[in-house]
Amino acid sequence: MSDNEQPKKPRRVIITTSMVLMVLIGIFVIAGAITVFFQVDATEQAVVTRLGKYHRTVGAGLHFKMPFGIEIHHIVPTELNQSMSFGYRALEPGIITVYDTRDYPEESVMLTGDINIIDVEWVIQFLITNPRDWLFNVEDTYKTISDISKSVINRLVGDQSLNAVLGPARPAIEDQARIDMNDILDQYAIGINVTTVELKDIVPPSGRVEEAFKDVQDAQQDMERLINEGQQAYNTEIPKARGEKERAIQIARGYATERVNQAEGDVARFNAVLREYLNDPNTTRTRLYYEMVEDVFNSKTAETTLIDKGLQNFIPLLNLNQGQQGGAQ
Amino acid sequence: MSKSLRRLIITLVILVILVIIVFAIGPFYILNEGQQAVILRFGQIVRVDIDAGFKFKVPFIDNVARYSKKIQPWDGDPTQMPTVGGEFIILDTTARWRIADPRQFYSRLGTMNAAFRRLDDIIESAVRTVVSQNTLNSIVRDSNLINEIELEIEAEEIADVSIVAEGFDQREFEQQLAQAASTGSQPNIERGRSNLSLESMNISGPTIQELGIELIDLVIRHVRYSDDLIDRVYDRMISERNRIAEFYRSFGEGQRQELLGLLENEQRQIISEGYEESEIIRGEADATAARIYSQAYSASPSFFEFWRAIESYRQTIPGFNKTISTEIDYFNFLHSASGN
Repeated sequence: MSDNEQPKKPRRVIITTSMVLMVLIGIFVIAGAITVFFQVDATEQAVVTRLGKYHRTVGAGLHFKMPFGIEIHHIVPTELNQSMSFGYRALEPGIITVYDTRDYPEESVMLTGDINIIDVEWVIQFLITNPRDWLFNVEDTYKTISDISKSVINRLVGDQSLNAVLGPARPAIEDQARIDMNDILDQYAIGINVTTVELKDIVPPSGRVEEAFKDVQDAQQDMERLINEGQQAYNTEIPKARGEKERAIQIARGYATERVNQAEGDVARFNAVLREYLNDPNTTRTRLYYEMVEDVFNSKTAETTLIDKGLQNFIPLLNLNQGQQGGAQ
Repeated sequence: MSKSLRRLIITLVILVILVIIVFAIGPFYILNEGQQAVILRFGQIVRVDIDAGFKFKVPFIDNVARYSKKIQPWDGDPTQMPTVGGEFIILDTTARWRIADPRQFYSRLGTMNAAFRRLDDIIESAVRTVVSQNTLNSIVRDSNLINEIELEIEAEEIADVSIVAEGFDQREFEQQLAQAASTGSQPNIERGRSNLSLESMNISGPTIQELGIELIDLVIRHVRYSDDLIDRVYDRMISERNRIAEFYRSFGEGQRQELLGLLENEQRQIISEGYEESEIIRGEADATAARIYSQAYSASPSFFEFWRAIESYRQTIPGFNKTISTEIDYFNFLHSASGN
């Protein structure tokens, strides 16, 4: 709406002073109205300064302030959990966090107390607790937090040995780091509270040092494997040996039974024949004799040659050219 | 245009111009939170304003030089410097400071850039001095904590191996491992990193104070070795790890051999037990059989002699190729019915 309306048509619109005045007042009022309200989210607080000087802090909701820049409000996110990572960057924080795979060695490679070199990644989380302090006490707040975080971690890692930092000292370092950071930042009255310090990957520097560390893990596995081999051999061979022992005993028992049975059988047969013999010694003897000779002469496996006792012209000659026969076959 | 309208417009324009003039040369200015100001009149400092708010000044004549009241960061460039032992380290320091006396700050420095340049010089030289008087260990560490908890941690951390085996002594394993892994204790330090930072601050404090600056703290953000020393450190780290790996492997092999030896012993023992028992059984059986035989045969030794011979001939003679004379008893009745 302009108050310099040039009438182009013969129809003339009369611009009166009061009209212009009203328009101006209207603009004034609207401008005032716009600058008088401001809204603060549930996750925020606002600091209001009047003519430059701190006046008040307000919470969530719709608020009034003096218009036309007499009062200025500054919004500070106080419920927002802010995080800073060191030695790595999370590219897209979300459900699956994507990490920047570049290292940031100027942040992460540091010395341990036993003058070893190690690569430490960590992340801190903090909340703004005092918006007034946050706005007005420290220049370049994020850089200050970052500087202090680095210096505290560097100092704590530098006080421990390499092996400690790799493992058992981690929780202690995380704890102490949080405490120390808050102590120092409170001295500056920066208005935040560091809620967590979390150590992420702590690894030896990449390259041949890393390989040497990996080799230690390999060696651990080798050791376990060797011991298992010994254990395995033991577990398989001893039962086998026991089995063999049992078998030998069983075989012996078998032999024992056989031997005794054989003896009893033989003896039973003998006793039976003995009874007959005692009844009638002579005929039994004769009978047995003839039975035996019959069996001998009936052999199918060997030759029998008879020579009459009366023949005196024959010289006993053994023909050696016929090869060996007789005896075991 | 009506006359009253023209008047209104002129009035407004004059008003606007007046407001602009007032604001420009005005008898007041606004000092925001976090700022402080020095009021200069004809080049002289007449007043220092520290609290924020609506302030008055003489128009035209008074100039306002604004400075931040906030705590400022100072960054040192990471520079290489030698320790007392001659090792070259790269130290990255950072400090926090404030303009504590704006009047002094204005006269001595005037601008932030000037302040940074002076701080660079003063702080760096103080740090360099302190570093050159102290050992590497004092700079890297803050306390002697490392010596107090060294051994505990070695065994605990590395012996995270679960080994289930006969005759395996966990405690002895841990002891030997701690030995293999130990790097010896670190030299005790009298003063640590924090003390050295403090000393640097004390050295540079007075000079800085004269500039109207308060040095709030000075910390080491980062310590590392210069590049040529890094290789040496790496070599040492690698050989330490190799020693540990070596230990694991040879310990494992030793255990294995022990187990195999154990195995062989037991094996032999078991088998020989088996042999012994089976021989006893056989022996007893033989004895029983012999007893059975002799009990029976001793009832009639003469008949036994005959019978046994008969049985034996039956077994053996059929296998011989034999030439038999007709003189044997069998042929008694061959030549005559009455036998001869």
